Amino acid sequence: MKRRDFIKNSALASSLLYVPSFVNAFNNFNLETEGYKRLVIVQLSGGNDGLNTITPFKNDLYFKNRPGISNNPQELLKLNDELGFHKNLKPLKHLYDQGFLSIINNVGYPNPNRSHFRSTDIWHTASDSNKYLTEGWLGRYLDNYGQNPYNGIEVDESLSLVLKGNKFNGMAVQNATQLFRNSQDPYFKKVLNYPANPHLSEHNLGYLYKTMIAAKNSAKYIYSTTKTYNSKQEYPNNPLAKQLKTAAEFINSGVDCKVIYTSLGGFDTHFNQKLRQDKLLKVYAQSIDAFVKDLQTNNTFKDTLVLTFSEFGRRVKQNAAEGTDHGTANNVFIIGKNLKKKGLYNEAPDLADLDSNGDLKYSIDFRRIYATILKKWMQVDDKIILNQSFNPLTFL
Amino acid sequence: MDTKYIQHLYWRAGFGINPNELSLFKKKSKKEIVTTLFRNSKKIEPISVINASDYIDLYKNFKSLKKEQRKKLQKMNQKKIRDLNVAWIQRLCNPHQLLRERMTLFWANHFVCKDNNILHFQQFNNLLRTYALGNFRDFVKAVSKSASMLKYLNAKQNKKQSPNENFARELMELFTLGIGHYSENDIKESAKAFTGWNHKHNGAFILRKRLHDYNEKTFLGTTGNFTGEDIIDKILDQKQCAFFICEKIYKYFVNTKIHPSHIDEMVKVFYPTYDIAKLMNHVFLSKWFYNQENRGTKIKSPIDLLVGIHKVVPIEFKTTKQLIYLQKLLGQQLLNPVNVAGWKMGRHWIDTNSLMFRLKLPSILLNNAVISLKGISEFEDTYKMYAEKRKGKKGYLKITQDWDIFQSQYSPLTPVQLQSILLSGILSENAQDLLKDIAFSNAKDYCIQLMSLPEYQLC
Repeated sequence: MKRRDFIKNSALASSLLYVPSFVNAFNNFNLETEGYKRLVIVQLSGGNDGLNTITPFKNDLYFKNRPGISNNPQELLKLNDELGFHKNLKPLKHLYDQGFLSIINNVGYPNPNRSHFRSTDIWHTASDSNKYLTEGWLGRYLDNYGQNPYNGIEVDESLSLVLKGNKFNGMAVQNATQLFRNSQDPYFKKVLNYPANPHLSEHNLGYLYKTMIAAKNSAKYIYSTTKTYNSKQEYPNNPLAKQLKTAAEFINSGVDCKVIYTSLGGFDTHFNQKLRQDKLLKVYAQSIDAFVKDLQTNNTFKDTLVLTFSEFGRRVKQNAAEGTDHGTANNVFIIGKNLKKKGLYNEAPDLADLDSNGDLKYSIDFRRIYATILKKWMQVDDKIILNQSFNPLTFL
Repeated sequence: MDTKYIQHLYWRAGFGINPNELSLFKKKSKKEIVTTLFRNSKKIEPISVINASDYIDLYKNFKSLKKEQRKKLQKMNQKKIRDLNVAWIQRLCNPHQLLRERMTLFWANHFVCKDNNILHFQQFNNLLRTYALGNFRDFVKAVSKSASMLKYLNAKQNKKQSPNENFARELMELFTLGIGHYSENDIKESAKAFTGWNHKHNGAFILRKRLHDYNEKTFLGTTGNFTGEDIIDKILDQKQCAFFICEKIYKYFVNTKIHPSHIDEMVKVFYPTYDIAKLMNHVFLSKWFYNQENRGTKIKSPIDLLVGIHKVVPIEFKTTKQLIYLQKLLGQQLLNPVNVAGWKMGRHWIDTNSLMFRLKLPSILLNNAVISLKGISEFEDTYKMYAEKRKGKKGYLKITQDWDIFQSQYSPLTPVQLQSILLSGILSENAQDLLKDIAFSNAKDYCIQLMSLPEYQLC
């Protein structure tokens, strides 16, 4: 059902506001459990250094540009005779070997912006680099296809731009129990205990009441859906694993959410990069490992696609502080069970052909990845959501 | 003037009104009240958390500083910017020039900017304050030449040999004309006129002649050796610019739903003089500003909400970081806008998470997150117990409230008077029924109950 139709239907009876929507959602869910496709996004915030994540170990230019911070070729987990994973990405290598990983190199966009905030905005809104959009691409997905705020969940305490639409927003859920408790304030219950005024619905006050009801119902729905579920999977103790564990609870208990957003920060490695990135990649890989295992145990891996990106890569040449500065094109990981194109999707980065800043040139616009996912995975109209038509890729 | 109208004026031109102020104004005419509002905002009081000479001393030997010392300076800048945030909020809570401060806040979301240099950012903030009720033409030029804006929109990269169009584009798209009223070529050509614009370390503007393009430019249909100032003048000569600004002011101060004839009226006042005070005076004296559909229908911004609560019960944060964290949670951290387009406002402040938090905010700030159920029929205490359990745990907000000030003004009021001074618009039936059921016990509890209604989110 389209969002517009949903509003029409629910406006028919103002009393429907008071039918707890989770009752309906439960009914819908049973019909949709099979083939209910979900997207999980992991953002590596700060700009992950792609060249030390997947290293071109036969390329002299790599070692020449990075005398102090290059990976030791002996320690790399080799993907072919040209590229190798960082030593701490063993779980990713395992996924790669099973054909559950597609690596897309040289992903970026024209006229790259090297500011964290701006480039994150560009990735979140799927805008051209000289345009400012005020809705996220997943927000626009919800504008067109969302029915409840929890259709798009960010595992965090507040909602970022990516899940904010023009008329419809996703919701942030860090802890379902806490959220439920917050929504159960007895005073607010009283406020909502009186019958609603249908004339209000068009005004800001009506909007506030409607949102208040949606908040209460959504918190209750998520809490009651997840509370009986108990994951047996062990997760490492780090912030990303915590988020992914929560995501797995939503997925495995059958919460009606199509998109889940998570992130791991700290990748802005201007100095002493090696130590920091080694640690972060380990955190990333171990968390993903536990998450995928959890999904596999519950037979939900086949219906879940995991996209990992960073707002930009880093400069090819290291700086004087044993670190790297903000760069441009980077690699993107797609994890899933039924990938059409497994392993390395395209050519390795070309270190001999850099832009005037000494940064990698992109060959795949990141919005082509979004378009592919929207069209082939979520099965929705990518053009409406991305405001433009992008040539899809073939990893799905 | 009718108290409802005074309240409306004071919520839009300021951050609400308390009973004492209200009783002072009651017998005055609209004209008198509006005139006083402008008269009281004549003076310009800059905010200062650092003085320029101290700052320049710190940077005197910057080139010879070691990495550690440079890092220290960076930390100092970050800390001082947090101080500036707090100083600004304190100013909003206790303004001497109410309207000037409201306008400054408005312009900060028009000329959106961010800087990590405290001296330049403080200068920029005070520049907004200086021109807030001045001449818009001078305002645009001053903003364009400010160190913070020059940096924020990549003026440093804008050179004759390799022009950077960022500033030229945003100048037209966001600051003056709005999208669709210029061509891509106008951007390219005007960017050339801004080449070589830069600033000195103390924030003063300089034109780096070596980097400036002195060739002819063709802009908005005319050709000449235009300077950056010429370009700004040419933009401001377009009536569209007055139209764009009037619409934005109307959406912020009056209603997000545009009434075309009101805008036309405003443009007639604003163009071509661009006198902001004159324009605002016209708006506040107009009949339509006080129309029913404009009163109590605006969704408060997080800062409106925070400052508005402070207006009723003065609160003091014990730590800077908590006040900043609170702004972040609410989705509006001053001096840290989301992007160059600024915050979207209106309904965009609201999502399920932010609304729950906003509804809870008065009780969090004033009563350890407890909203009294005293006087409401059936008693439930789950949340209260939960809140009490949490009390004393770390992470709890460290705030003190000045209830004496509140008591002196609000406790003599009847429940109906409290309702009408705290809630601006029409009450929903839900709220009316609930309020009928509440047996009034004391002003403090009742105040928090009223502030916890969705109605309080509007002004």
